[in-house]
Amino acid sequence: MFQPFHYLAPHSLAEACTFLREHAGQAVPMAGGTDLLVRMHDRQLKPVYVVDIKKIPGLNGISPRDDSGLTIGACTPLNAIARHQLIREHYTLLAQAAHSVGSYQIRNRATIGGNLCNASPAADTAAPLLALNAIALIAGPDSRREVLLQDFFNGPGQPVLAPGELLTAVKLPPLPPGSASAYCKLMRTKAVDLSQVGVAVVFAGQGLRIALGAVAPTPIRATEAETLAAGRPLAEIDIQAVARAAANSASPIGDIRASREYRLEMIEVLTTRALTELFTQLSLNPAARREE
Amino acid sequence: MSETLIGASVPRKDSLEKVTGRARFVGDLHLPGMLFARVLRSPYPHARIRSIDVSRAFRVPGVKAVVTGRDFPNFVGLYLVDRNIFAVDKVRFIGDPVAAVAALSLQAAEEALGLIEVECEELPGVFDPLSAIAPDAPLIHENLHQYKRVPAYHPVPFTNIANHVKIRKGDIEEGFKQSDEVFEAAYHVPHMQHCQLEPHAAVAQVEAGGTVTVWSSCQSPNAVRKLLAVAFDIPVGKVRVITPYVGGGFGGKAGVSIEGILVALAMKTGGRPVKLVLTREEVFQGTTVRQGLVARIKTGYMRDGRLIAQAAELFWDAGAYCEYGVNIVRAAAYSSAGPYYIPYLKTDSYCIYTNHPAGGPFRGFGMGELHWALDQQLDQIAHRLGLDPVEIRLINAARDGTTTATGEVLKDIGLAECIKSAAKKIGWDEPKKPLTGKGIACMVKAPAMPGNAASSAVIKLNEDGSANLLITATEIGQGAETVLAQIAAHELGLPVDRVNVAQPDTGYTPYEWQTVASRITYSAGNAVMRAAQDARRQLLTMAAEGLGLPEDRLTITAGMVHAVDDPAKSIGVADLALGLTMPDGSGRYGPVIGRGHFIPEGIEGLDPETGQSAKAVAHWTFGVQAAEVEVDPQTGRVEVKKVAAVYDVGKAINPLLAIGQTEGGIIQGLSVALYEQLHLRQGRLMNPSFVDYKIATAADVPEMDVGFVETPLADGPYGARGFGEHTMVPTAPAIANAVFDAVGVRITDLPITPEKVLAALRLKGKGGE
Amino acid sequence: MPEKIRFSVNGEQVELAVEHHHRLIDVLRDDLFLTGAKEGCGGGECGACTVLMDNEPVNACLVLAVEAEGREITTIEGLAKEGRLDPLQETFIKHAALQCGFCTPGMIMSAKALLLRNPHPTETEVKEAISGNLCRCTGYKSIVEAVLDAAQKES
Repeated sequence: MFQPFHYLAPHSLAEACTFLREHAGQAVPMAGGTDLLVRMHDRQLKPVYVVDIKKIPGLNGISPRDDSGLTIGACTPLNAIARHQLIREHYTLLAQAAHSVGSYQIRNRATIGGNLCNASPAADTAAPLLALNAIALIAGPDSRREVLLQDFFNGPGQPVLAPGELLTAVKLPPLPPGSASAYCKLMRTKAVDLSQVGVAVVFAGQGLRIALGAVAPTPIRATEAETLAAGRPLAEIDIQAVARAAANSASPIGDIRASREYRLEMIEVLTTRALTELFTQLSLNPAARREE
Repeated sequence: MSETLIGASVPRKDSLEKVTGRARFVGDLHLPGMLFARVLRSPYPHARIRSIDVSRAFRVPGVKAVVTGRDFPNFVGLYLVDRNIFAVDKVRFIGDPVAAVAALSLQAAEEALGLIEVECEELPGVFDPLSAIAPDAPLIHENLHQYKRVPAYHPVPFTNIANHVKIRKGDIEEGFKQSDEVFEAAYHVPHMQHCQLEPHAAVAQVEAGGTVTVWSSCQSPNAVRKLLAVAFDIPVGKVRVITPYVGGGFGGKAGVSIEGILVALAMKTGGRPVKLVLTREEVFQGTTVRQGLVARIKTGYMRDGRLIAQAAELFWDAGAYCEYGVNIVRAAAYSSAGPYYIPYLKTDSYCIYTNHPAGGPFRGFGMGELHWALDQQLDQIAHRLGLDPVEIRLINAARDGTTTATGEVLKDIGLAECIKSAAKKIGWDEPKKPLTGKGIACMVKAPAMPGNAASSAVIKLNEDGSANLLITATEIGQGAETVLAQIAAHELGLPVDRVNVAQPDTGYTPYEWQTVASRITYSAGNAVMRAAQDARRQLLTMAAEGLGLPEDRLTITAGMVHAVDDPAKSIGVADLALGLTMPDGSGRYGPVIGRGHFIPEGIEGLDPETGQSAKAVAHWTFGVQAAEVEVDPQTGRVEVKKVAAVYDVGKAINPLLAIGQTEGGIIQGLSVALYEQLHLRQGRLMNPSFVDYKIATAADVPEMDVGFVETPLADGPYGARGFGEHTMVPTAPAIANAVFDAVGVRITDLPITPEKVLAALRLKGKGGE
Repeated sequence: MPEKIRFSVNGEQVELAVEHHHRLIDVLRDDLFLTGAKEGCGGGECGACTVLMDNEPVNACLVLAVEAEGREITTIEGLAKEGRLDPLQETFIKHAALQCGFCTPGMIMSAKALLLRNPHPTETEVKEAISGNLCRCTGYKSIVEAVLDAAQKES
């Protein structure tokens, strides 16, 4: 049971954004509702208005772009992302991450936009998107802007969105042939759990991109580790050293899901595993083998 | 009598209703005029209530009743009467009920809760059992010495010890002196939640004549009836408890839970029924939990592996109220030798109040906690001696002629066979791969119940030859309906689907002590068997007269009473159900009603000083589990690959259900071993939901191999023993023992988290143990 | 303020006024008396309230009733067709894949959705698909066997 609120489902972005701005503090946007409604159920949130943005045209779906990248609408359910052929082939880690969220039922409703806008450090899709250099498309009542996903999070629960602004889509830049990626997640049970540590790695023709989840106030790029790998042929990369460096970027807290110390150690282990998986993928990939 | 029904895997009688969504649970009830309740609970772990002002709550439109402890200050409790329905003078844990509201809608009730003003003075809290028994610890129950109790429990006045149970078997010092070596260690078990999928739910209504009707998702309709009658000062016969299907119990719905809150409200609503369904958060925080345990065990043994002496101190973190928990502490004491023979024994089991959620029964009734300690300690001894863990268990296994902790001489014990069978199923002697390991653990449990815990059953025959079985055992998922119907059908010579089983309604169905202690198949099973035999005798008497044959030449098959040697000489059960009709149309006898009851005979109390008793319990059931694990040395994660389980069940009346019960127990045991823990910080529950209180999912299920040994129990129906709870008891120690076998580290505090394994591996790498 | 919505439940068109803050589970259970779907946690964690929305499983505790507008909802009550049990219902009975029965309706609906999208799942796929449906009684093994058996039957 929820406390009473008004529900509205605007049919245009402008309408939604305007309403949200005019009722800032009272109105909340809802996509899949799988986090929002839980917080309302627990009385952590008591909005006067719930603005369902799923019916706004253009917010749901995955579309290829001219630059051979992809655009994913903010209201696209995680199941749709996890099973999308192009994402599975070219952005493997994102499919893996989307698939690792909650249960099948949850993924039917939970959206990529919701996963990002909650701005949880542990959001599973965030680290992969960071590593993919994804771009957040943001619309306001009378403006639109693009933000590198890396700059999307101000802190736990704090996306960069101003009152009245909505995340409308995520743009995935194209990956050159011979790219590869992996997402490794540590959780308590074998299924349906939040991430204790998440590590996303991407190889996109040159250099490694590494992003970490659940180990800092926001999802982060492990820049020190990336620098260590930069400019070296893959074969010469010291996986262990890179993994150690990844841990240096993190500043995890300890909570009931894991201690700070354990998280730090696991970054190293998971980074090693993610990179090993990535290299395995590459050695199976003829384009990559030529490169080496 | 058809021999095929006992031991036949007949389908569950409740399955059609359950797969179609038609099975009704208390939460599904809609009654005319029904009101909805919410409960105000303490935000403090320990505080004195200065004042409660409910006047503003009444101003919310739709509010029909508000009650507090001042309205109903009576005490309630099963063994040690230490609890009020609502806190009266003090609150003792976060979640302690303080007041409740009944209103036309949940929303109004919730709004009204927010307007109740409670003024409290916070008191220092106690959050672990060892500090709670320190001399200067704040007292949680100052009036402990005044509480009513059953004499078998021994509170220590003006302390936080609600019960101290002593076992003294032989001279323990002599035992240690005789031993070649002595080993000592401590083990920890955190609090856990039952996590029945159905949250606690009840509806109460006061009839014009004063009868109180309560529909409750409970395990014990008769116990609820009695406790409510006492708490509200109503004649027992005026309390009617109805229990439809229960969505899981595991002990969390034993005794009384939320029913008192509903009755208090219903007494003030002018006859309107009031319904309360707990939220999951309330279930986690406000209902009974599995008690925490700190166990210190010291064992003396011979170099050949024989156990000689064991001194155990069990410090139970029993939480804010111990009305039921005192008996868990007692059960652990008289079971403290575990499934092994130990000549010298000294046990002190302490039930200790803390400002944690109230402890209560949890599948295993203390045995899961106890065996976590005992079966690891034996494993540790085996490794010290270089003995095979299976071998040391066979050396020490209880068997016919050995004595228990209380000095009872055992007979009809099949433990050794269970050990051998479980070892074989897990491939004990097969070579193992690196980082994998195998572990084994044994267990024993007896039904923990008063010596006079009774069951009864009534069977009415219908004019179509079918039977209605009236019992007050609740169907909590264990399959009671099916197994009891099988027993009745078997005795009456009817197909199982001709036996209709009534759901408990204390207004009509006969007495059953409680659906706990794995006692229904055993105790209610005996009562049903006798009721059916009674009905059968009546049928045979009438048929003998009708057919002109002696009774001993008659039997009943497929609904016909017939001559043993001539099936043509027969008369239908249908024709006898309402009495014998003579050829001239006149009648004799009357409708067939079979009655049966059962009390296990000869149970004796424990000597208060030595805990000795020649028969402390009705019977013992033994079992063994063996686990195979693989450990990831980098993350510390433990993957359970396989669990084998073998129990001596006496007789598996329905093997399919018995296997299902065992598989469920194994997974609950695995879940407890690897994941479960209520994280309490200064009495505050940090994980009151499935988000952070993880229980095993389908993805966590390993290969399982279940088997049974059948050593008949003399007074069990067809030899059957109780074993439902037993199935989760040894899983955790078996897994811990397997982890040791795999990577040489021993985790002594539950759960076996990756962090603990990793830390232990580090320590071992540095040369520690 | 209640809002009128139209949707289909178990093949029947339903029109009723719902409060904005009511959930799909509330409307199914309290207004339509379809009490098969259970509320076990209210937070989308246990799966006991699983129903199908346009043949895809959702937690009915995390769907607003107004969101059902125009959708097809299938609950456990709608699974048996013309008195004939669904193969899943039959195999759940055969394998005794239920004990207390509280998770059973949600469990069967998750399994139904799986077989609709993947008629021949592997054991791992079955376990994965029902991992959002908690069961505290059975240990899941009999449930997995029942689902695999139903898949076999339907082929």
